[in-house]
Amino acid sequence: MGMLTAKEKVKVELQSESKVETVPARDKIVYDTKNLNLWYGKDHALKNINLSVYEKEVTAIIGPSGCGKSTYIKTLNRMVQLIPIVKISGDIEYRGRNILDKAYKVEDLRTRVGMVFQKPNPFPKSIYDNVAYGPRIHGIRNKKVLDEIVEKSLRGAAIWDEVKDRLTENAYGLSGGQQQRLCIARCLAIEPDVILMDEPTSALDPKSTLKVEELIQELKKNYSIVIVTHNMQQAARISDRTAFFLNGEVVEYDKTDTIFSNPSDKRTEDYITGRFG
Amino acid sequence: MSIRTFHSQLDYVKQELLTMGGQVIEVIERMNESFEENEKSVMEEIIKDDSLINQLELDMHDKVTLLISKQQPVATDLRKLIVALKISSDLERVADLVVDIAKQSIRLKNENLIEYKEKLKSMFVIAEDMVRNSLEAYRQSDILMAQKIALTDDKVDTLYGDIIRELFKIDASEVEVDQITQLAFIGRYIERIADYATNISEWVVYEVNGKHFDLN
Repeated sequence: MGMLTAKEKVKVELQSESKVETVPARDKIVYDTKNLNLWYGKDHALKNINLSVYEKEVTAIIGPSGCGKSTYIKTLNRMVQLIPIVKISGDIEYRGRNILDKAYKVEDLRTRVGMVFQKPNPFPKSIYDNVAYGPRIHGIRNKKVLDEIVEKSLRGAAIWDEVKDRLTENAYGLSGGQQQRLCIARCLAIEPDVILMDEPTSALDPKSTLKVEELIQELKKNYSIVIVTHNMQQAARISDRTAFFLNGEVVEYDKTDTIFSNPSDKRTEDYITGRFG
Repeated sequence: MSIRTFHSQLDYVKQELLTMGGQVIEVIERMNESFEENEKSVMEEIIKDDSLINQLELDMHDKVTLLISKQQPVATDLRKLIVALKISSDLERVADLVVDIAKQSIRLKNENLIEYKEKLKSMFVIAEDMVRNSLEAYRQSDILMAQKIALTDDKVDTLYGDIIRELFKIDASEVEVDQITQLAFIGRYIERIADYATNISEWVVYEVNGKHFDLN
């Protein structure tokens, strides 16, 4: 643009789009949601959602209360269907197969997709048994194999060093932050492909939150993670992509860097800068 | 601090910066008015007053750092604060350049090379307008106004080139060589002031749409 005047330069640049995003190859998509609609009775809670979750990325879902973000994450492992009045249309393809298809066994889905909730929910059992629970259900009885799974999972959840000498103690004796990491370890024990997290740090203190956030960064090397969070700074810190939900719709879905530096929709801008919500 | 208070603090930062800009413009005006007469007392005052503008820049940095650390702003809010930091630094540099012009002017002899001083003065008037307009563009968040300032910068660059070429064509005695050098320096400083005004305009564009433009 050497021959252009400054004004022409600005014109050209204003007209040109910002850098063209590299579209990830099709096989990198873990979840592909297409025209998803969900009703709780007459309440239209999710409206025409189209959203792709990518492999080995952290996808954050943000939005004000009641916007449908928790509902959405619960459709990804079909937990939402436990509610009788729920009606769903559209497709959610997980690894190319529609999980809303009646032929898709929910048990198969949930061995591939783990979930961590807002409040740590360990079983009233020992630390060891909490982690070994899933593998046992899947028929693993060999003590040595279970020991290995338990250690690997607890290490994966960055809690091994803190609990290795007290594996037989009740999990309720752990702190909130430790309990949450134990729940993550329990989730890892079934070797999932995806981990869904519904506000996993909202009940934790800042130190435990930091640990879980660091853990999420580690986990994404091997797992794809979808996290619902009310903490926008957390979404900005740990996620690769962010979807902003509002009134049951996806207002904007983009790279987290873009969402938090220069969102394209004014509603996103207003929400993340605290002008509403 | 509530989010509402934070947003009013953002407006306050803008007002503070415009106040700082007003002081820098005032220094430029004083320098410009006394440029031809070369009043030593005015020059010395300008040099002395620079510390006040330096302090304003530091105050702005402290204020913005505190707001960023306490409010963790994002998107437009963050850009507003980053731009305030950048513009305050640019304004401080403009004031420094005016001080440099004042120092060189003190060493100029009135009777010599008067026509070149006039040319520099007219260049200085344009640079002054550029700073004023860039701050107006900032005040109004007006991208089009910011772009026009960039066009004016091309004009200043041309004038600077012309003056330099003319100055170095002069068949000078030894005394005049020193004077020619002073004038060339002053020309360079004015040209740099125009560049900083262009920088400020670029920050206005960035603040409004989050994109960088090299208008220089």
